[in-house]
Amino acid sequence: MASPTAELSHLPKTDGSANFAYGGYTITAAVNGPVEAQRRDENPFEALVDVNVRPAAGVGGTGERQLEAILQPALRHLIPVRNFPRCVIQVTLQVMETPENAYVNPKVMQPRLNLGIIPALLHAAILGLLTAAVPMKTVASATCLVITDADGSSVKVDPTPAEIDQARSVHVLGFTAGRDLLLAESEGSFSADEWATVLQTAEKVCCRSQEAGGDAEMGGYGAESENVQQFMRSVLEAKAAEGLHWR
Amino acid sequence: MSSEPVFVLPGDHIDPSLIPSHPKKPVRLGPGLRHVPPSDLLPTLAGQLVTDRQKNAIRVETSNGRYIPRVGELVIGTINKSASEVYFVSLSDYTAPALLPQLSFESATKKTRPILAPGALVYARVTLANKHMDAELECVSASTGKADGLGPLVGGMLFTVSVGMARLLMMPKKAQQGKVVVLDELADAGLQFETATGRNGRLWVDSDSTKTIIVVGRAIQETDQKSLGADEQRKLVKKLIKELS
Repeated sequence: MASPTAELSHLPKTDGSANFAYGGYTITAAVNGPVEAQRRDENPFEALVDVNVRPAAGVGGTGERQLEAILQPALRHLIPVRNFPRCVIQVTLQVMETPENAYVNPKVMQPRLNLGIIPALLHAAILGLLTAAVPMKTVASATCLVITDADGSSVKVDPTPAEIDQARSVHVLGFTAGRDLLLAESEGSFSADEWATVLQTAEKVCCRSQEAGGDAEMGGYGAESENVQQFMRSVLEAKAAEGLHWR
Repeated sequence: MSSEPVFVLPGDHIDPSLIPSHPKKPVRLGPGLRHVPPSDLLPTLAGQLVTDRQKNAIRVETSNGRYIPRVGELVIGTINKSASEVYFVSLSDYTAPALLPQLSFESATKKTRPILAPGALVYARVTLANKHMDAELECVSASTGKADGLGPLVGGMLFTVSVGMARLLMMPKKAQQGKVVVLDELADAGLQFETATGRNGRLWVDSDSTKTIIVVGRAIQETDQKSLGADEQRKLVKKLIKELS
């Protein structure tokens, strides 16, 4: 799979913006904040994190609302919301591109949860928040995994949409840089043991950056998947060096 | 100051050798750092970590994002409305207004106070910045009672630039340190103008000729958006001057 690409601060009117592309998904994130909250959703003790997912075509429906409901608590945990009472931090995630699935006609597809898109949405949102200089407690990354065969031994990282369709169960797990579990969503039938394997694999994939030279012990799983936290660090470092060239 | 820029992401571990340890002065934490009791120090922004050993201070440097008021910073505000005792001043779009007491102008008394209409500009200093309260401003030094250049900005035009550009423009030696030569070049080309920069990313330009105001403002905005180098800035100024005459 091609390595991730990103473009930062490409929208001039927002406080921070990022374009993140990986695994066939391209997401544009626009972040504004902290701005004044409307009276009806003002919270006197903490900031409201407003996540808005827009599909590539048409208007958002129940599927997008569910994605927002999954992403919102994850982002809320990353931002020190208590430092910005009566404020809103607005994150708009526009899906620009989704990988094509030759087996499914998108026009007749029922609205349903698309777990495969969550990692891309989360990464775009975090890059957007970081370019908007919104204070964060830590950074995070997520990954999508599927269990394909009946005995549950084979876990595949970063599946294609076709693989997700044929999989027995689909899982999305997110970890912070401090290796804490941030997000866990699963779909399909699986046993507790299988979930434990998935958890272990996902942690290895997300937190690989800390173990220097950890790739060797990675063994089979997801060796081809990119380390997104390392990638985020490198793009932001380049951006910071460009913005602070005078130092 | 520091030799090698250290890049940090939120939540990164800061190497203890980078934290200044002055025997007497307390450590001062600048923007972008969070103290987690009892003894952890974590960055909250993605940027370059800067240590100032003389002042015993440490901060994270970024060049974009929204302006968040901090005590002591000089800002350019737009008057939104006037209440009985205070003016409501907007420092950036869509944020809660800051408060400017009507008596905190030079030699203002209950009878002689400046009357500012909505839309008027003021150059002010932030005196109170607290997460639970609206920010407060002043246009007079509280200790001396002098304006020191603060107060209403009459005439001219306001331009929006990035927070990082505003910082560069406010440097005392912006040409040497910040590599922003565009203002010096415009002045050398014979244009006469006055500028004021606020930390909230606002640039005020005044001149006798409206053309000059627009040329100066546009030149700064273009330098900011395209992050032009010194030579490109000179080229831009030459082009603008040619178009002007």
